[in-house]
Amino acid sequence: MKIKYLLVLTLVFVLILSACAQPTQAPVEEPAAEEPAAEEPAAEAPAVSELNILWAQWDPADYLQQVANMYEEETGIKVNVIQEPWGSFGDRFFTEMAAGGDAWDMVVGDSQWLGQGATQGHYIELTDFMASKGIDKSVTPATLTYYGEYPTGSGHYWGFPTEGDADGWAYRKDLFEDPDEMAAFEAEYGYPLDVPKDYNQLMDIANFFTRPDDGIYGVAIYTQKDYDAITMGVENTMFSWGGDWHDENNNVMGIVNSPENIEAVQFYRDLYECCQVPGLSNAFFTETNDAMIGGQATMIMNYFAFLPALASSDISEYADVTGFFPNPAGPKGAPQHAALGGQGMSVISYISDERKQAALDFIEWFAQEDIQTKWAELGGYSCNSSVLQTDEFLAAQPFNPAFAETMTFVKDFWNIPEYGELMEITQRHLSSFIVEGVGTAEETMNAIAEEHDQVLRDAGYIE
Amino acid sequence: MSINEAQVSTVDQEMKKQPRRRQLSDRSIVNLFIWPALLLLIAMNVFPLFYSLYLGFTDYSAIARQQPVWVGFQNFSRILNDEQLWKYFATTGRFALLSVGLQTLVGFGLAMLVNEKFKGSGLLTTLILIPMMISPVVVGLFWKLMYNPTFGFFNYLIGFTNPSTAPDWLASRFAGTPVPGMALWAVVIVDVWMWSPFVMLLVLSGLKAIPDYLYEAAAIDRASAWFQFWRITLPQVTPLLLIAVLFRTIEAFKAFDLIMGMTGGGPGDQTELISVNLYRQAFLGQWRTGRASALAYIILIIIIAISNLYIRYLNQMKGES
Amino acid sequence: MSNFREDGPGYPVTEASRVDKVSPISRRLRSLRAITVMVIAIIMLIPVFVMAITAFKSRSVIVSHPPTIFFKPSLEGFVFLFTDRAVVSKARQPEFKAAAETGELGLVERIALESGQEVTGPSDYVNRLKNSLIIAGLSTIFSVVLGLFAAYAFSRFDVLGKDDLLFFILSTRMLPAVVVTIPLFLMFRQLGLNDTHLGMILLYTVFNLSLAVWLLKGFIDEIPVEYEEAALVDGYSRIQTFFKIVLPQTMTGIAATTVFCLIFAWNEYAFALMLTSDNARTAPPSIATMLGRGGIEWSAIAAGSLGFLIPVVIVTFALRNYLLRGVTFGAVRK
Repeated sequence: MKIKYLLVLTLVFVLILSACAQPTQAPVEEPAAEEPAAEEPAAEAPAVSELNILWAQWDPADYLQQVANMYEEETGIKVNVIQEPWGSFGDRFFTEMAAGGDAWDMVVGDSQWLGQGATQGHYIELTDFMASKGIDKSVTPATLTYYGEYPTGSGHYWGFPTEGDADGWAYRKDLFEDPDEMAAFEAEYGYPLDVPKDYNQLMDIANFFTRPDDGIYGVAIYTQKDYDAITMGVENTMFSWGGDWHDENNNVMGIVNSPENIEAVQFYRDLYECCQVPGLSNAFFTETNDAMIGGQATMIMNYFAFLPALASSDISEYADVTGFFPNPAGPKGAPQHAALGGQGMSVISYISDERKQAALDFIEWFAQEDIQTKWAELGGYSCNSSVLQTDEFLAAQPFNPAFAETMTFVKDFWNIPEYGELMEITQRHLSSFIVEGVGTAEETMNAIAEEHDQVLRDAGYIE
Repeated sequence: MSINEAQVSTVDQEMKKQPRRRQLSDRSIVNLFIWPALLLLIAMNVFPLFYSLYLGFTDYSAIARQQPVWVGFQNFSRILNDEQLWKYFATTGRFALLSVGLQTLVGFGLAMLVNEKFKGSGLLTTLILIPMMISPVVVGLFWKLMYNPTFGFFNYLIGFTNPSTAPDWLASRFAGTPVPGMALWAVVIVDVWMWSPFVMLLVLSGLKAIPDYLYEAAAIDRASAWFQFWRITLPQVTPLLLIAVLFRTIEAFKAFDLIMGMTGGGPGDQTELISVNLYRQAFLGQWRTGRASALAYIILIIIIAISNLYIRYLNQMKGES
Repeated sequence: MSNFREDGPGYPVTEASRVDKVSPISRRLRSLRAITVMVIAIIMLIPVFVMAITAFKSRSVIVSHPPTIFFKPSLEGFVFLFTDRAVVSKARQPEFKAAAETGELGLVERIALESGQEVTGPSDYVNRLKNSLIIAGLSTIFSVVLGLFAAYAFSRFDVLGKDDLLFFILSTRMLPAVVVTIPLFLMFRQLGLNDTHLGMILLYTVFNLSLAVWLLKGFIDEIPVEYEEAALVDGYSRIQTFFKIVLPQTMTGIAATTVFCLIFAWNEYAFALMLTSDNARTAPPSIATMLGRGGIEWSAIAAGSLGFLIPVVIVTFALRNYLLRGVTFGAVRK
């Protein structure tokens, strides 16, 4: 009898709770979220006095808050930059979006999120707004494409390029410029020791400086499996070898497992085997930076946004002897390439029209050249093309020249909504081949190509 | 005060059978005592449980603003046919077996050691409990630091001072040569370090509860220490030990933040436990909510099956003693 | 077990009178045992020790080879933990340096300046810690109290479908947290519990209830029912019996359960990360993700973890007499 009681009670609860849950699902039914906030406009005050921007927890977000404080002084509208730790940034954002939440008005989201943000209606389209205010012309074309446009090449924009970023290198100038080292290097390899011009030179230098008995190693490169790090690292070589993830028609067979890609991946593995600082088997930006700060690495790969720590003498005792260079060229004459990082600012579609307008007003203000100059001065990586070319910018930080150069040859991973599945595949196989040391480069790339092909076919990108 | 066991059980039976005046109030006590807990459990669990079960039968991504599409058993059949996932299940099984097994041994041993009082035993026992008080995420982070062959302490303590000829635990390499399985062992070591005290504490409570006269009688009969352990200590402790093992097994199948912090499932997929993979499918850019829910239910069924075995054994033990 | 008397000796047994406890060998064994335990305890505390010294290391010391035990201690970690900071721009650096030299800056500001930063305000660590105390503390009390009542009822009475109910209670702990977070998130949003203390307290109470019921039932099962019988015969009511007889006997179980529930609730990470943001976020998600400039702030994480460890250690120490006392005193046993 008690069991029945329990069952009935359970049923009642299910009913109550599913009834409660119904409104959550209601907005889900709307195909495009044009006016999802229409249900509760009464809750909104007519004048918007506060705006919330979600970003990851790091220094640039502090800089953005400082810029935002200037906006408050000018207009009286308070702008809060809400910082969520990197590890949960994506999860928190998308969980809120799943519920159609309006906790934030804007998000400075990853370039890879564009597909999900655009096709699933989380972002509002900014094409007309950006064109009418001339914002699309004020930023460099590459950043507009990667931080704003979806689908790539369509001319539809969803984000304002806010924080440009890409992979580059830091190196120990004191070792590179040591006369004894220079002489020994030239004697061994037949050309002078300098910043590597192509990846073969990089390999030579890494080998040359790998001296376990002295506690010094050639490189620290990305190997982390968690999310996207090892893929981003390998991408640098792949693109520079002339390889790619796909062609214009989204075909991957023969592209992902092209001879160029196979060679590039093999190169990355060789570099890891010969010259990686020990223990960096699950390494991303903090680990490679630490290898430099700890004095174990001669050259490290990292996103420019994380390099300020290395140039700061308060953090790294090698700061004064740390130099920076952009990704070298591939060995086969293919143009230089660098894996893209960075974020664009998008407006959430689930907020009221007044808030949307207020958010757009903020972006319009933020995109002005003098504000962008201010943004760059604080340490933000402006995407504004004239700011990037000023002497002030180039002289502001030792890595800024390398950064400005890199931003002309960036390239990105997939940004379609299925990028997560594609990423999981590359992470798994690349970690297995490079870190675990299993299989051959050809097997690895064949496996990735096959699995990518399957995902893209299931999703209808290839028929 | 000591009462014969035979008497005890008759009293017990009488109490249960006798129709008494208190019966009614007993029933209301039962209701009063049980229902608050049950209601809370039902209220908080039923919706999540049933909703995710429902999602398991759908094609659904939490971030795609589309209704779940009913696909029947498709998720389940795809998961069961996915060799990759079977590999993760096997890894999880190995992890659970190794870490729970070692925890039981270490925890039991520790409990036996600290059971007899000596000067400072209370303090030492409490200190031993500290590892399990630290947040698993922080534990993962710090053990990653500990295991680092360059600036971590672990290798130095076991005698490897040159990073290039030392084991790189989390990379499953020894002096650069791949040694499959090392990373899993590294994770197991941390799990054992962290949770052996849990087993110890529960076993200790069981040990303390064993009446001295049982050992006295055994001593009078000149029973060997082995006999005492085997016939008195173990059977008396088993119920609490099994509860400890049950909860550790469940947690081992759910282990996730520790591993995510240490290895991220790598190198390759050597430490990719099923719960880590589940997280990867449910979040981390993939957002395959439907498939992840189905996978979670498969995990749940496996855990239920294993728990049932334990509980059956537990009841059997109780029936015997 | 038939070859010895089960009704025990006819005289009280004291430690001194036990033949197996007084020989010189057993004394030596006991000191050997004490040394073994001490060695094990030291080994187990090494990682905690490493964490403690890491809190006082500066970043370049932490990542240098080889690892050191002796170093120049730095309070950087604690300053980073308790403050929010911003990088001092190059233009303003001389101004700050001058201020530091003239003694205008306090200790905290000077330490922050050593890494090129200015203090902009207190961090939210204290707030997070407060949230943790409220949420973990209350949920532990709730789950132990509710669990105790339920465990007693399950242990002492015939409850219809007892095994099934007990299994249902257990099964609520089996589903991986990762999957229930999305339904929970949706449910919490509807009920307005998202990012509230109440929501997290309820969630953790439920999360721990299964452990509490099962553990406490295990302990209560060990307590002989005769005491209660005797009390009932003496005219006590059931409720009185429960409070006067059962409760004192269960203290070990209650202490152990409290410690376990507190530890789980105190350290829970996945739910806290997904279901809270500014208002009710507990400490674990914010400690573990403290990122400094271009890297993990090991020292701040270590300092934060240490501070976070202290309350649990205090509770455990306070309860340790109960924890280690044992369930019964060698009296009756079924």
